[in-house]
Amino acid sequence: MTTIARAAVRRKPLKQRLTLTVLLVPFILFFAAFFVLPIGYAIVDSLFTVKTSGLGFGAPERVFVFFENYARALSTPSFVESIGRVLLFAVIEVPLMVVFSLVLALLLESGKAHFPRVFRVIYFLPYGVPGVIASLLWGFLYVPSTSPVLQILSNFGLDFTPLGGDSVLFAIANIALWGFAGYNMLIIVASLQSVPGELYEAARIDGAGEFAIIRHIKLPLLRPTIVLVTVFTIIGTLQLFVEPLVLKPLTTAINSDFTPNLAAYNQAFAQSNPNLAAAMAVIVALIAFVFSFGFLKLVNRKGNRAW
Amino acid sequence: MSQHRATRRRVFTAAALSLAVIAPLAACAPGEESADGPVELTFQTWVPNIDTAVEAFNESHDDIHVTVESIAAGPDGGYAKMLSSVTAGNPADLAQVGYDELATFLLNDALADITEYVSDDADKFTDWQWQTGVFNDKVYSVPQASGPVGQFYRKDVFDGLGLAVPTTWDEYYEAAKVIHASDPNKYIAAFASNQAPWILALAQQAGQPWFEAGDDAWNVTIDNPDTIRMAEFWQKLLDEDLVKVEADMSNEWYADIQTGNVASWMSGSWAAAIVSGNAPDTAGLWAAAEMPQWEAGEHVSASWGGGSSVVVLNGSEHPEEAAEFALWLNGTPESASTLTSIGAGWPALKDQSEITALTDDPATFEFFGGQNIWETFAVADANVDRSWQWPPLVDTLYATLTDNVKAAVQNKTPLSGAFEQTQIDMIKAMEDKGIAVAE
Repeated sequence: MTTIARAAVRRKPLKQRLTLTVLLVPFILFFAAFFVLPIGYAIVDSLFTVKTSGLGFGAPERVFVFFENYARALSTPSFVESIGRVLLFAVIEVPLMVVFSLVLALLLESGKAHFPRVFRVIYFLPYGVPGVIASLLWGFLYVPSTSPVLQILSNFGLDFTPLGGDSVLFAIANIALWGFAGYNMLIIVASLQSVPGELYEAARIDGAGEFAIIRHIKLPLLRPTIVLVTVFTIIGTLQLFVEPLVLKPLTTAINSDFTPNLAAYNQAFAQSNPNLAAAMAVIVALIAFVFSFGFLKLVNRKGNRAW
Repeated sequence: MSQHRATRRRVFTAAALSLAVIAPLAACAPGEESADGPVELTFQTWVPNIDTAVEAFNESHDDIHVTVESIAAGPDGGYAKMLSSVTAGNPADLAQVGYDELATFLLNDALADITEYVSDDADKFTDWQWQTGVFNDKVYSVPQASGPVGQFYRKDVFDGLGLAVPTTWDEYYEAAKVIHASDPNKYIAAFASNQAPWILALAQQAGQPWFEAGDDAWNVTIDNPDTIRMAEFWQKLLDEDLVKVEADMSNEWYADIQTGNVASWMSGSWAAAIVSGNAPDTAGLWAAAEMPQWEAGEHVSASWGGGSSVVVLNGSEHPEEAAEFALWLNGTPESASTLTSIGAGWPALKDQSEITALTDDPATFEFFGGQNIWETFAVADANVDRSWQWPPLVDTLYATLTDNVKAAVQNKTPLSGAFEQTQIDMIKAMEDKGIAVAE
């Protein structure tokens, strides 16, 4: 009897383990094939370079160079500048994005908005427009000779060149805000809708006004969501790529290594230098990693929360 | 027990499902070629409607059958696709490659040496176009078509101001002043700092070539006196606000050529179709002329990014048959005529008497006010400097050149400095790759 019972106890975890393994296999295979493997490949690739000799008409050979590509990337002034540029861009974009989508979500879920569902869809719509198309559309609006808005303003003596050297980052921030604010708003709305109604009722009975409810109930409960949106936005801004790529032909203010990702793309596909590109990509990934986890660590300090 | 079996069945179902998802991934193997029957070749190209010419080849040849594989234009990803397929050991047999890109392909060991199959036909082709595919006395490509550069200009704007089309750069400067003085919105041309082939054409026409393959090292002279003279000329136009800083073939620029605010465009022969297609309301108002000259009475010309050739990719199992197709496609008058009519560019064939698309082209001539503009481009094509060589790493050249010129325009630093910087950047990029550069 005891032996049978012990066998049953032993067999059950085995069975479970088998089921678990089989259910995990598809995920692990795809995760390995499309996530771990490419990252590993990029890291390995970043340690090699392709060298030729003489006039460059012979067969090239692949040589192991340790961290030479990293050194080269970090000693290229334009690449370092591009990192500084996306960091500056993040300083502009992240607060704008978080505050804007939060305000939109709070307004829509205040219970006083007319047609909140309709507006939720309208605000979300730009996210459905692919980034390339959005940049092309905004490109038209940013160039004086094709932009009706700028032409009308020009009639009133206001001449704007959104793609000029001083304003181009704001022009790009505007496109990103237009495209993603609705998406982030939706995440916050979903989180707001899961707040139990009794909390609001209780607060109102205690005499809390709308702003007090926002401050003392909504914001604290939204905290994890806002942290999530912030991390997404940090990663998104550091990987800025599509907007400058599409706007590049329209202005002298954007060059082919305007952002780190653009520089990596340029090295890989225009300058046939995939090894250097791999090193640049790894550097961008590391920076995104440091900043997102740094932010998480900052906001999750025990007993010392910002709010 | 029965529960045990049920679990096991579920396990098997899950395993089968995961296999079913993964199996198709493993099944992507290349198609097998048949042992007998004609030799099957694949040709990667982005020239629209080129199948017409390829079909004509297939119909007249029983032993070779060519299949067209349409891919993205070279700079838009086509070259990357070709080069990676060569690296992967699974290339197409034939590919469309620009003259400017050939040395870069050689650098990647992607071209088959076809000297023994094609060298007897060298004199069928315009000399400079044939030479673009010759490296160290070996032939690697068969030229198809080029873009000799000329000026397309708004004859009505020039006539209205009593201007003749400029034949020298001095006249160009004077005309630019008159045009801009007549209307502050009007410019003789756009300064297209985005457009490497345009800048290169200006440099090529100025005189000394940028790259020369010596015996064992490249001579790189991007900042040579001729180029600097050209840069200083455009500096003067920029300083006096006589050219409009604007990307060509951009929305803004298209709007400007429709209104006549940009009154001329220096571009390849094929650009006639771009002008007529994008400014149809200005039909009859345009004309074409040769590039302005540094010395009056000369006819020095340049090409827009070289031109386009057909190569046999390294790794093709049938280089001889592939070379035969490349020769036939570009070297027989009927085929060259078909190619010209579908807009492949200015034919590389020397004897153009049978290319009807050049003599009988009423729609184009009508757009250009009845002028037979192809006569102008025939002169331009015959006068392209054959000593101009395209270097390996041409994409690096394009990227650094446009970045440096853009920066000079943006920061209002001397344009000549952009060429000096490109010289430094290019030598560094070549040396980083292990290419020998002469001191």
